[in-house]
Amino acid sequence: MSPSPAERIRLTGTPVGRKVRIAEYGKEIDPLQVEQLHAYGMSPPHIIRVTQQQPMTVVLCDHMELALEHDVARHVWVEEA
Amino acid sequence: MNQATLTEHASLAATEQGTTTLALVGHPNVGKSVLFHRLTGTYVNVSNYPGTTVEVARATARFDREMSLLDTPGVLALPSRSDDERATVRALLHEDLRLIVQVGDAKNLRRTLNLTALLAELGVPMVMALNMTDEASARGVTVDTPALAEALGVPVIATVATGGEGIAPLTDALLHARHPAPMLHYDPEIEAVIDQVTAMIAARAPHPRLAARGLAILLLGHDAEVLAWLATRPEGAALVAEIAALAPAIGRDSLPARLARERGRAAEALARTVSQQAAGKDRTLSLLIGQVAVHRVWGWPMLLAVLYVVYLFVGDFGAGTLVGLLEENFFGGILNPAVTALVQNHVTIPWIADLLVGQYGLWTMGMTYALALILPIVTTFFLAFGLLEDSGYFTRLSVIANRMFAAIGLNGRAVLPMVLGLGCVTMATLTTRILHTPRERVITIFLMALAIPCSAQLGVVLGLLGGISFSATVIWAGTMVLVLLSAGWLAGKLVKGRRVPLVTELPPMRMPVLGNVLKKTGGRLKWYLIEVIPLFLLGTLIMFVLDRTGALPWIIEAGKPLVTGWLGLPPEASAAFVMGFLRRDFGATGLFALSHQLDMVQAVVGMVTITLFVPCIASVMMIAKEQGVRTTALMLAIIMPTAFFVGGVLNHFLRLFF
Repeated sequence: MSPSPAERIRLTGTPVGRKVRIAEYGKEIDPLQVEQLHAYGMSPPHIIRVTQQQPMTVVLCDHMELALEHDVARHVWVEEA
Repeated sequence: MNQATLTEHASLAATEQGTTTLALVGHPNVGKSVLFHRLTGTYVNVSNYPGTTVEVARATARFDREMSLLDTPGVLALPSRSDDERATVRALLHEDLRLIVQVGDAKNLRRTLNLTALLAELGVPMVMALNMTDEASARGVTVDTPALAEALGVPVIATVATGGEGIAPLTDALLHARHPAPMLHYDPEIEAVIDQVTAMIAARAPHPRLAARGLAILLLGHDAEVLAWLATRPEGAALVAEIAALAPAIGRDSLPARLARERGRAAEALARTVSQQAAGKDRTLSLLIGQVAVHRVWGWPMLLAVLYVVYLFVGDFGAGTLVGLLEENFFGGILNPAVTALVQNHVTIPWIADLLVGQYGLWTMGMTYALALILPIVTTFFLAFGLLEDSGYFTRLSVIANRMFAAIGLNGRAVLPMVLGLGCVTMATLTTRILHTPRERVITIFLMALAIPCSAQLGVVLGLLGGISFSATVIWAGTMVLVLLSAGWLAGKLVKGRRVPLVTELPPMRMPVLGNVLKKTGGRLKWYLIEVIPLFLLGTLIMFVLDRTGALPWIIEAGKPLVTGWLGLPPEASAAFVMGFLRRDFGATGLFALSHQLDMVQAVVGMVTITLFVPCIASVMMIAKEQGVRTTALMLAIIMPTAFFVGGVLNHFLRLFF
């Protein structure tokens, strides 16, 4: 069963090395960037691994590394994989 | 018709048109250009970062002289959003396409299939080249290609384009291209809208080759190119308005976002069915090195180390050792005395002899500058540059520099054109098409025109200042960064629009292939010399005429208050600035030739001023092509006074300490 919204955390708050499941994109993200994220394969409920949080959030999505500025990553909601 | 093979299409096309056109389409950085080279023998620039190809390239296939191949810019997704994606959609709309080869990344199958889901709707026969299967294997990814081919209804061929694997099966498969099976049905609410738009297009504005359903999905996704195409049709304007009324937001998300999400789900489902990931093989050395390069602490020492090695190779070895050998020993000691003696013995008209081998002689100045001074510098620079761009390091700079670029209203993506500008500002201006907004493009182009030296100029700067002291080079570099940030900050305030936060792919770090680096270096040198030698000869001729007519001494005298008074340079430096109007590196070389007359402050001030000076003619023309004449004129009107203002301020500031 999928966790409730209360169990979701921001991608920026995810410890480095942790695998998480993408839950939802906040409406604060520009719709064009949401499309861009889908195109990279970052669609809910896919599992990604956080490899870095500074100076940007870097995630491994399948075998592709993606760097997200914190202004975007903080509005990506994730849950425990 | 759905099961028609390419053989039928090809014969039809050959009858009607004489040739069959085939397009390579795929995500950025998946090997389309390498495959294009393999299939046509035509080399287009290939690098390890997204956005290397920003225009469509065309060549005849090796295996079939009746077949024309198009290498299209990478599309992150369709509908198109950026200029390079629009170029690909334009090719799909306007070329007489009979076949699409989707080039996919085997290790990122889900993403590849996301694009397939849209291409499959276009109604054009397809073949999939599933490339980089070597990298997929190294990461423990296996793809069941027969099962994938069965699911898609098109041939799927595993390839390693860089190693030439799978090329022959791919060319064979082209004869068996088929219309792909649709990968998904959108949810009923969306399907109803798609059906309505499809019917409208099919009835009132059918495309000669592309399926109405594919165009409907692109239109509902707000593809600007399809919209522009539709607007040119007889009933286009009315149709656009009717379609706009049909496509409201459904639910919480916009329609383009929902379409994208559903394609993503379909891609995920199919990828899970046909591929497997071996446990524990997802961490590779390439990944570790890539992570160090963008690490918040270790990324900086790595950057400094890279810059220092480039400085040693280009500034020390290229501009020092090689230029010394060529200019002083070979040209100065052997070739120029021999050419001078030959001309003086055989040319009896003094002014012609002077034009050839005098102070402003076509050989002694024009050719000597181009071949003895510039050639060794750009050769070493292009080699170092080629190694770095093939390694995948450049894209990682965008992560390191993002915060700095945020301060000037850009994001780290602008680093890539700027770094490419260190090779050639003209080509880098074209590369700004990878940026997502007009605002980002205009600011980046302006900053490149102002403060990014091209390879030849950079080499001359490193050669001159490196010969004086390392601190002189550091002062020059620090000043350039300061000008870049200040001008960028100001431009960010003045140019309307908002900043877009950075989301970018980091391509895998790879060991550069020496053959590709050498091929690229050779191509760049050829292009460079073809451009440089005529301009250097023209510049020398202008200098000769100015000298002969007495105008040069007048210019030097007239420029004294500015050049000698404000900049603190010797009067002869005015001639270098006159040369700089043609090319900044020509002007920089003129200052290089005066180096024995310059102290440290003069050398730094001279190089800062000439670096900020007007960009070369080719760059100005490219800026005008991309941004229009008015914007270009405005940029030049800002750049020239800025160069002299900054140079003068630096002169007076440095004189306080040195």
